Amino acid sequence: MPRQLLSAYPPASARYDEMLDGGRMPREHWHTMFDQLASAPPGLMRERLQAVQRQVSENGITYNVYADAQGADRPWDLDVLPLILPHEEWRTIERAIIQRATLLNRILLDVYGSQYLLQQGLLPPALVHGHSGFLRPAHGVPAQGNVMLHMYAADLARSPDGRWWVVADRTQAPSGAGYALENRLIISRVFPDLFRDLKVQHLASFFAAMRDSLAHWAPHDDEAPLIVLLTPGPYNETYFEHAYLARYLGFPLVEGHDLTVRSGCVWLKTLSGLQRVHAIVRRLDDDFCDPLELTGDSTLGVAGLADAARRGNVLLANALGSNLLESGALLGFLPALSRKLLGEELEMPSVGTWWCGEPAALEQVIANLDSLVIKPTFPQLRRETVFGDDVTGAKRDQLIAQMRAKPQDFVAQELVQLSQAPVWDRQHPRRLLARAIGMRVYACATPNGYVVMPGGLTRVATGPSARVISMQRGGASKDTWVLAPGPVNTFSLLRRTTGAQDLVRSGANLTSRVVENLYWFGRYSERCDNTARLLRLALERMIDAVPSADDVGWASITALLRRAEILEDEDDLDDVALVRALRTAIVDDEHGGLAGNLRQLFRVASQLRERLSLDNWRTVNKLVQDFAERKNQTLALSDALSEIDRTVVALMTLAGFALDGMTRDQGWRFLSVGRRIERMQFQCTALERALELPHGPGTPDLDWLLALADSTITYRSRYMARPEWMPVFDLLVCDDSNPRSIAFQVKGLHDYLVRLGTALGDCGADSLSPSMALLKSLEAEDLQPGSKRLSTLIEGLLEASYTLSEQLGLRFFSHSMLRQTYAT
Amino acid sequence: MSDARYHILHETHYVYESRVAVAQQVLHLTPRDLAYQKRIAHSIGIDPQPSETTERQDYFGNSVRYAVLDSPHETLTVRAESEVSVASRTGGRVPPASPPWESVRDQLRAATQAAELEAAEFRFESPHIEFSPDLMRYVSDCFSARRPFLEAVHGLNHRIFEDFAFDDSATSVSTPLSEVLERRRGVCQDFAHLMTGCLRVLGLPARYVSGYILTTPPPGHVRMVGADASHAWVSVYCPVAGWVDFDPTNDLVVDDEHITLAWGRDFSDVAPMRGVILGGGDQELKVHVTVTQTEAPGVREQFAGLVAP
Repeated sequence: MPRQLLSAYPPASARYDEMLDGGRMPREHWHTMFDQLASAPPGLMRERLQAVQRQVSENGITYNVYADAQGADRPWDLDVLPLILPHEEWRTIERAIIQRATLLNRILLDVYGSQYLLQQGLLPPALVHGHSGFLRPAHGVPAQGNVMLHMYAADLARSPDGRWWVVADRTQAPSGAGYALENRLIISRVFPDLFRDLKVQHLASFFAAMRDSLAHWAPHDDEAPLIVLLTPGPYNETYFEHAYLARYLGFPLVEGHDLTVRSGCVWLKTLSGLQRVHAIVRRLDDDFCDPLELTGDSTLGVAGLADAARRGNVLLANALGSNLLESGALLGFLPALSRKLLGEELEMPSVGTWWCGEPAALEQVIANLDSLVIKPTFPQLRRETVFGDDVTGAKRDQLIAQMRAKPQDFVAQELVQLSQAPVWDRQHPRRLLARAIGMRVYACATPNGYVVMPGGLTRVATGPSARVISMQRGGASKDTWVLAPGPVNTFSLLRRTTGAQDLVRSGANLTSRVVENLYWFGRYSERCDNTARLLRLALERMIDAVPSADDVGWASITALLRRAEILEDEDDLDDVALVRALRTAIVDDEHGGLAGNLRQLFRVASQLRERLSLDNWRTVNKLVQDFAERKNQTLALSDALSEIDRTVVALMTLAGFALDGMTRDQGWRFLSVGRRIERMQFQCTALERALELPHGPGTPDLDWLLALADSTITYRSRYMARPEWMPVFDLLVCDDSNPRSIAFQVKGLHDYLVRLGTALGDCGADSLSPSMALLKSLEAEDLQPGSKRLSTLIEGLLEASYTLSEQLGLRFFSHSMLRQTYAT
Repeated sequence: MSDARYHILHETHYVYESRVAVAQQVLHLTPRDLAYQKRIAHSIGIDPQPSETTERQDYFGNSVRYAVLDSPHETLTVRAESEVSVASRTGGRVPPASPPWESVRDQLRAATQAAELEAAEFRFESPHIEFSPDLMRYVSDCFSARRPFLEAVHGLNHRIFEDFAFDDSATSVSTPLSEVLERRRGVCQDFAHLMTGCLRVLGLPARYVSGYILTTPPPGHVRMVGADASHAWVSVYCPVAGWVDFDPTNDLVVDDEHITLAWGRDFSDVAPMRGVILGGGDQELKVHVTVTQTEAPGVREQFAGLVAP
């Protein structure tokens, strides 16, 4: 068995092998895993692989890659096998990371404080004053608890002799800890027994320590501190993680315009007014944090944030300016700084790195270009990393010329021969492949010093010979198992007991942006539903028989298709054009129609990510994945029809969640208001059309009207007859037990608005009163086409719904007002 | 020789197309107190009344006023009024004697002593100053081997004055240095940025100074360019002479006719008014600077200029 497992697993000639020792035998801490892989029936491994794939896809774990062919959201690539590290080895790593985080924090405090290191010549001025990441407005800002570096990550690589080296430091807003957490949830479920038997250390207490420490340092009086997670928004490559962590830690996820600075304090704009924010975990680059004092053209930041931090009124994690230490040029100075500041030797070395700003180093680097990687000194330079031996001829001359022109902008780093670890071959029933790996480990500051997350994000190179491991370049990842010597701490953040302060906080932090998104989530899910039903109706008629021009029902359907921008006004109703338009509406999200509305729904849902339950999200995700599969396909009409059926079912599921699975808070009411307004507008439009129909003798074609209102069954069970005007209007307008009737929408809408009004002040419920009175007073003789009173009702309701939507937007949604920055 | 005494009125007036809901302002409108410049009186009036104002010193030691206006407004007027006295700085020697420029460069590179360390900060690129081969080419003529530092700077100052045309329609706040260099025209900010960049690209310390010059010259003197708006020039650090200021717009070494507001790496550090507003739409801006000599040669003249920079 083991032989088959290793048939494609090359010996690690010039690199360290994480799993096998020099004699090609599993290392001790891999024994259990290896035996299990060797003995597991092939079907079991297949199931495990599928379980991983399914969970990644269902949970919608994504990593946005700019300019990726798969669209903005690329599914996260997770290998089924964890990287396993023995306890003693981990202790060494842990100690080194704590030391390094402590050192880097001290350097930050010095640079943004007394600048002793510059005065002593221990740091070259170019690395501070010539670094665009040195933010002068952040100088002198008080650091609560003497901590500027709250979260730290280091990228590690293992050399052939088995030692770990630091390749890079992440000091600004280290990403990936959330992905590591998600990896853990999935992989621990795939190997539940192994996970328990091997005593793998849990991650939750690390996050609890982070949360408690932030709460400890956040400047707050007696009230419970409000901590938010500041994200640049859904277009950021790690937005999934921001939403995931926010939900996991229980922090509201906010964007820059959700916050405002008044009286030197930061406030969260919520539905019920401004809430004081005490700490901000920022995933926004520091120079973008404040358009007033930092990068002027940033639309993502919070004007006045630097000043609020300066006055000690808000804790920023990490502190403004911490990006300074992400310069590779610093690595060479760390050993001396460690001796000076800590009186200790650096426990884990950095990979050999030379800063070309030192004239001697520049010449050395140029002479040894082939064996070096050339990187930008400062992340702000946004320059590509270049392998010296990749550049030849004119390109090489050009690179050298650039390095000579601005030597301070370049660092050169030794090529590390990365260690290899097994990944499971997805193309083969039982085979391991070897891939180069690197590991990102995380530390956070606590009042008792730094603590390290027992685990990390192991990143896997794409191919057997890849030299760079980068999620941006399409690498994969692994869960990282650190074995515990004794009993495992099974503390879970998700099951912690709730204190009184948590109860007070719940629901109070509904941001204006979230409310706006909930409202539109309601509207778009309903709009998708309406569009799907309209398309289904049209397709069914097309399949039954080619509709004739004098068919009044068909004329109504096409009129509504035009209104929904599925047909264009000038479209000639030739069959071919019609079929093409209907298909376009299903598969092409560039146009109005179902696909376009689904895209809007998904856009809004992504911004609500941290507020939607996993089940809710999976349904939305499924809708989008189904759409992606049929995108730009040429569907047969019958296939199109079954696609729509699936969509309608998924939308019904969403509606069910809204009804049955969400807390009745103000946010839910906004969602419901959105649904009711949208449904009312759609039904009104359909009825408006029906009212225009000629009402001569003979049986009218009203099947379409009932179908659009999903009321065919009800009608048949009540009347056992062909639809006629009066009973149809009664069912669709006056019957408040029919969830698609006008009466039902108006009543519900009025009720929600009254309830919102009680908490937030008048929300316009009264604007529905005239229509409600009219509705009540309708008599049987009004329920006919051409009825003046019915027309008045419909017109009045359409008008009221537009006004309501606009007024709610003005009052409660985040200011759509444009922010401008200027300097004169 | 008695110190010159000036009265400065710097008015900025915005008219917005639509209402501004909230405005936050950072003002660099308070003259610095220096060995050669005393601030006698100073006030900043803001209309409408801000809901909040605070004052602090920025990283470079400039006074900064921070103001928040949170009631809706359609116009904004900021009126900074100052009374300062300025002592002669050149002592008649223009420029002072100095070591070869290369030794200044090398000394600053290895700086450890406080004044030099402070100066050493001003040797790098900054938001408005990007190094380029063109910049290097332009400056190299003036900095021949072993030329005394301040003499070379003086030469550069003169060369910029000769090569560039003052043209307030040619550039805006955001015009990059490379474009100014190529088109050979601009305003005082551009010339100050250019000269600062020229010096820094050689590894020499230079900072950008924002301030004013007398709007009406004493009898017999020529009226200086850039007098009717806020002005900008360059300060260079020389180990023996300290900071010496040059005004490339007027081809002179700064003596007692320049009033220093603030200094920094470039305009972005010391913009007289920087703000973030919510709403407002299009806006119309008028800046009005009046500098009068209140004592000294017995005249009391006033000249007001009106420009839209």
